[in-house]
Amino acid sequence: MTVKTYAEAVVDALTGMLKADPNFHIIGRGILGHGGHEHHAHALQHDFADRFTDPPTSEGATASMGIGAAMAGCRMFVHLGTGSFSLEAFNQLINEAGVAHSMSGGQVRVPVIFHMYHGLRGGGSGQHSLSPQAMFANNAGLKVMQPTCPRDVKGMLRAAIKGNTPVIWVDHAALLGQKGEVPDEDYEIPLGKADVKREGKDVSIVASSRAVLWSLAAADLLAKDGISAEVVDIRSVVPLDEDTITASIRKTGRLVTVDESIQMCSVGSEIAALAAEKAQAQLKAPVARIARAAVPVPFSPPLEKAISPKPEMIAAAAKRLVG
Amino acid sequence: MASQPTTAERISLLERMLMMRRFEEEVLRVAQTHAYVGRQHLHIGHEATGAAVASVLTPEDLFHTTHRNHGYLIARGADPGRALAEIMGRKDGLNGGRGGPWHLCDREAGFQSTSAMVGGSVGLAIGAAFAMKKQKKKAIGVAHFGDGTLDEGICFEAFNMASIFELPVLFLCENNAKEGQRPSSMLAAKALRDLPAALQIETVVVDGRDADDVRAAATDAVARIRTTGKPVFLQAQLERWPGSHQLKPEFPTGVTDLTLAWEEGRIEGKHADWTRAHDGIRLYAKKLVAEKATSKEEILALDRKVIARIEAARAFAEASPFPAPSTATDLAFA
Ligand SMILES: Cc1ncc(C[n+]2csc(CCOP(=O)(O)OP(=O)(O)O)c2C)c(N)n1
Ligand SMILES: [Mg+2]
Repeated sequence: MTVKTYAEAVVDALTGMLKADPNFHIIGRGILGHGGHEHHAHALQHDFADRFTDPPTSEGATASMGIGAAMAGCRMFVHLGTGSFSLEAFNQLINEAGVAHSMSGGQVRVPVIFHMYHGLRGGGSGQHSLSPQAMFANNAGLKVMQPTCPRDVKGMLRAAIKGNTPVIWVDHAALLGQKGEVPDEDYEIPLGKADVKREGKDVSIVASSRAVLWSLAAADLLAKDGISAEVVDIRSVVPLDEDTITASIRKTGRLVTVDESIQMCSVGSEIAALAAEKAQAQLKAPVARIARAAVPVPFSPPLEKAISPKPEMIAAAAKRLVG
Repeated sequence: MASQPTTAERISLLERMLMMRRFEEEVLRVAQTHAYVGRQHLHIGHEATGAAVASVLTPEDLFHTTHRNHGYLIARGADPGRALAEIMGRKDGLNGGRGGPWHLCDREAGFQSTSAMVGGSVGLAIGAAFAMKKQKKKAIGVAHFGDGTLDEGICFEAFNMASIFELPVLFLCENNAKEGQRPSSMLAAKALRDLPAALQIETVVVDGRDADDVRAAATDAVARIRTTGKPVFLQAQLERWPGSHQLKPEFPTGVTDLTLAWEEGRIEGKHADWTRAHDGIRLYAKKLVAEKATSKEEILALDRKVIARIEAARAFAEASPFPAPSTATDLAFA
């Protein structure tokens, strides 16, 4: 075990696969953003120069190149920049990558990871702040991953690269500096498994990506008031780990969902529906959903802050449910 | 052919360029001293092109610009105080603080939108041109964009539609790609103009540093668009300003010193070449003095006037409050 940042754990996983599989290729620039973690990506690109392709600003064709190459026997990691830019390739992701395996009667496989950064970032305004996880989840044939800690990202990324299904990897730049213990050896965490990040008995807070950090902070606030909150990190939006999530809801009898999607048809909505279908009998209070307000993200810092989910909001919602 | 500009017109062009430059320098100062969340994609070094093109448009012409938009807003007469307030996310900003530095919008100054999606402006401007044509108006659509925008497939589609539907649109491409470094574009075409030309669009290439040259070319291009109703691709050749893509606000070429226009021996430092050969403002001031269109003293007085206006703009922007958090979800629907 070594304490590493999330960014370093991503590099670990990519390095392991670049070494293990000469058919694994990376397309894209800025896979670790353009801030304090970028140097790790530069170092990796330096060590594996012939495995990196720096594309023009052509997200649609870049995604297609990744998909076509994957159909032809490569394993691909395609970085699309922000979630907002991924819409330039939405057609390719949904209509090509997502359908190919099934539509070909199982003849074709598309082992591609489409990587992007979602969410509020401070000043992203209306065109650089998209959280498209629910939009991608509302499709067939694509897996959607949102890990939050270094150990998880290393194991899940390795599993995703070795898998044969296209995966949408909706990361958050605010996670890159998160530190945690990471096993030194190569390992895989199966896709589709949630993880209880904090055990509790009064209320389940079910969250994804950066919202898990807010939820853990909310659990600290709640503990001060004598409320014991369980925080479930779904890690994978599709497939959704219904068993782990429902087990937690049945145990606590209360559910708060948190994610950065817009609430209408959000990831949280799906989890609320799951509670209604499978844990209705154990629910002691209505479900509360925390999501991003349904408005194009305003630039001005106080406005952006106002529409962002935050620990205080989560704690307040949980308290209302506990009564 | 475009007529020769009068001396008054040339001085007004220089004033416009100075407004653009001093505004962007103020943005850098704001970014250095305030809790500032936007990025700086400044228009420094593009002023000769921007001011000259803006000077030949009418207020009715509908302009679409990009992440590198500030210069065009100022050049077309948007209030610098409200523009700076927007960049600072303030209530009195042009967009009420909701847009920020990537999205300045001022309908009264003839802007329809500022899209930071690379390629956004190109597609939208053909729509503006379509509307002008259908409404039988004299006005045209203008798409401002960079060389890198041609990487995006939408350019091909929009050029083609402008060509086959004969839409009155000016495609204004600022080419600041730098040879030898990773440029802002990665195009197999040796000349950018070859791309629209293949779709039967008339193309013009001009030295973007020379305000007189750009003005002449833009005057002719816009006149042809108005008379023929067909698109023109105007490509301005520029040298990327060393601070054009910075994460931390810095003045790599210093605060603009107009006396360097006539005291070239004092130009020094790592980026001396940019200042000497590519700063369109310095070159224009030098030319106007050399041609005796004006004097050094008059230029410095003009600059002082401009600086005073920008200082007033800064004071206005700083005095403006942030919008109330309770308004955060306003304007989702029209
Ligand atoms: C669809 C999309 N992809 C990527 C980006 C990121 N991006 C911002 S500016 C830029 C380069 C644009 O180059 P160019 O059009 O030449 O303009 P310049 O910055 O050189 O003026 C890129 C790729 C974006 N804003 N939108
Ligand atoms: Mg460029």
